[in-house]
Amino acid sequence: MNRLLSSLVWLAVALVGAGALGAIALWRGEPVNGVFFVVGAGCTYLVAYRFYSAFLAARVLSLDATRATPAERLDDGRDFVPTNRWVVLGHHFAAIAGPGPLVGPTLAAQFGYLPGTLWLVAGAVLGGGVQDFVILFFSLRRDGRSLGQIARDEVGRRAGLLAMVSVLAIMVILLAVVALVVVNALKHSPWGAFTLAMTIPIAMLMGLYMRFWRPGRVMEASAIGFVLILLAVVAGQWVALSPDWAPVFTLTGPALAAAVIVYGFAASAVPVWLLLAPRDYLSAFIKVGVVLALAAGIVLVRPTIQMPALTRFVDGSGPVFAGTIFPFCFITIACGAVSGFHALISSGTTPKLLVRESDARLVGYGSMLMESFVGVMAMVAACALEPVVYFAINRPAGIVGATTEEAATTISGWGFPLDPATMHQLARSVGEETLLNRTGGAPSLAVGMAHIFSGTIGGERLLGIWYHFAIMFEALFILTVLDAGTRVGRFMVQELLSRAFPRMAHTGSWTSTLLTSGIIVGAWGYFLYQGVLDPLGGINSLWPLFGIANQILASVALVVATTILLKMGRTRYVWVTLLPMAWLVTVTLTGSWQKVFHENPRIGFLAQARSLEQQIAEGHVPEAKIADTRRVVFNNRLDAAVTGFFALLILALLLEAALQWYRILTGQRTAPLSESPYVRTKWAEGSP
Amino acid sequence: MTARVRSALRTLWRRLREWSGDAAYDVYAARVGGGERVSREVFYLESLRRRYSRPNRCC
Repeated sequence: MNRLLSSLVWLAVALVGAGALGAIALWRGEPVNGVFFVVGAGCTYLVAYRFYSAFLAARVLSLDATRATPAERLDDGRDFVPTNRWVVLGHHFAAIAGPGPLVGPTLAAQFGYLPGTLWLVAGAVLGGGVQDFVILFFSLRRDGRSLGQIARDEVGRRAGLLAMVSVLAIMVILLAVVALVVVNALKHSPWGAFTLAMTIPIAMLMGLYMRFWRPGRVMEASAIGFVLILLAVVAGQWVALSPDWAPVFTLTGPALAAAVIVYGFAASAVPVWLLLAPRDYLSAFIKVGVVLALAAGIVLVRPTIQMPALTRFVDGSGPVFAGTIFPFCFITIACGAVSGFHALISSGTTPKLLVRESDARLVGYGSMLMESFVGVMAMVAACALEPVVYFAINRPAGIVGATTEEAATTISGWGFPLDPATMHQLARSVGEETLLNRTGGAPSLAVGMAHIFSGTIGGERLLGIWYHFAIMFEALFILTVLDAGTRVGRFMVQELLSRAFPRMAHTGSWTSTLLTSGIIVGAWGYFLYQGVLDPLGGINSLWPLFGIANQILASVALVVATTILLKMGRTRYVWVTLLPMAWLVTVTLTGSWQKVFHENPRIGFLAQARSLEQQIAEGHVPEAKIADTRRVVFNNRLDAAVTGFFALLILALLLEAALQWYRILTGQRTAPLSESPYVRTKWAEGSP
Repeated sequence: MTARVRSALRTLWRRLREWSGDAAYDVYAARVGGGERVSREVFYLESLRRRYSRPNRCC
């Protein structure tokens, strides 16, 4: 009877989910409500978790709850700490959910709400969740070893090196692109720039509190920091209205980029307790709080989706970024669907905390579904905006023109009539001079979130406060990623250089610290600066590059996972990793090819370089701009080289792995696994 | 009923402290027991050094 009831309940969940997704996919002619997205995605996740992840756990991986985990065997109270699974879920979710699942879906909304939403849901269920789950499990079975170490042990030494180079390369592009998102959100915005600037002394105050006054009291310091941040958001309005202070915080793109580069260098070099750690604590609390508030806001406000299911930009002529749905939608949305970076987290701290192997299902697969849900909410927030407002904010000046009137003419020509007064009014209501040409996704998402939040609390009166709270929220954890990524990148550069210069390995040396910080900050700073100067807004070039890098890392993780499954003798189930891997390799290689060789200058780096050179040769570029244009030409060629390098990386790894697979399948080679030996858990009968 | 709610709130608070890292030293001290252990301050600094020497925040 219970079994029958359970079957009926799950059938009902599946039908409701299918109905909601079917409605948003097929409904035409009248607006869809945002609640359909929440219900459709939520029901799909429930069914996927209940059935697909159970299949992965039982049949494919054979999780063994009687086997002691590294947290139990190696428990030292520091690195390896047996921790409640819900706490680990919270840790893991806070670690994987960064700006990606918010910004990616917002950018992909230019295709309409449908392609991005379907990819978010299907990608997470069949790809991202699988990757995170299996890598977490494989790391659990190997004493919490990292992805690079597992690749070296299970696939080969070259694979380990390729994984490490991929991680460093993705780190550089990731840091550049997230910094660009912050710069584009804060340029010419004294309110936003002031609020974010204030997070630096606030974080330092928290750092001093937790270092000297109350060591390790994270909750107390975070509560103080949160109150101060809210005061900074409110005070930002006074700064923006002050004739004395507003000019101080009204910064151009290049000036903000320079400030972010200096900040990144300082954050990487100063002690971690002073700036990075307190900012991270504060950002984690605010991140989780805002995500929950956004979910509640969507349910309470039930926003109507204004964006059509598909826009005319599915043809590749998109104003936010150029390129057709395939492959660019699947590259633009990485975090939220499949993100290679998650494999680093799944093989980092998380496997050192799990009490039972069976908890890997909840933490690995479950947290990916939660991140995907964040992506769906970001899609709802972006698509709840009038399309004309969305495009006006996200279009670079190089395409629509710098003034509201020029933008109105261009955007109205696409079939989205724009009254210039609408944009003026919206900008005023959120406390900004203008919202035009704020590429990068963060401002349009903030406007969408502000509308949802103000629909719940405060109404139009608080729209400006909510907008700047949302901007602060996005910028705060983007800077956390910047701090933490720069620091880790510094360690990786130190490790690489120490092979030639052993003294560089000494992480306490100031010479080594300053030199390697300079190298990593210089690398991402260069890409950031080129993005700021890019006439097409920078996001058009850098975000796809970041997506390609991230998906290549996911391909690396899935190649490693496929190899291990073959070694485990699970050949009949190898499709669970092989299919998402094949899809990602196809997407990334197609995307790389198009970004390098496409004849449309807005898509192909080389075509754009040629087009600009031709303009110079024909005298269409003013004398004063020739040097800048030549720099853009060089940057396009550099981007083409970087993209080609990424493609070669994945091809080299595939070749290495394919040889390995052939030898295993034909029995030419014994395939020993590098798993730790079985030890029976002492907690088999209950939780610690 | 009140006791149940109070217990649930206590558990929630404990988990929140564990999640945030606030309870990390208490967990460590309980693990070490009466043995030799580092001070709260040293433990805090060590844990930060470990955490931020590997990728711990995603995009």
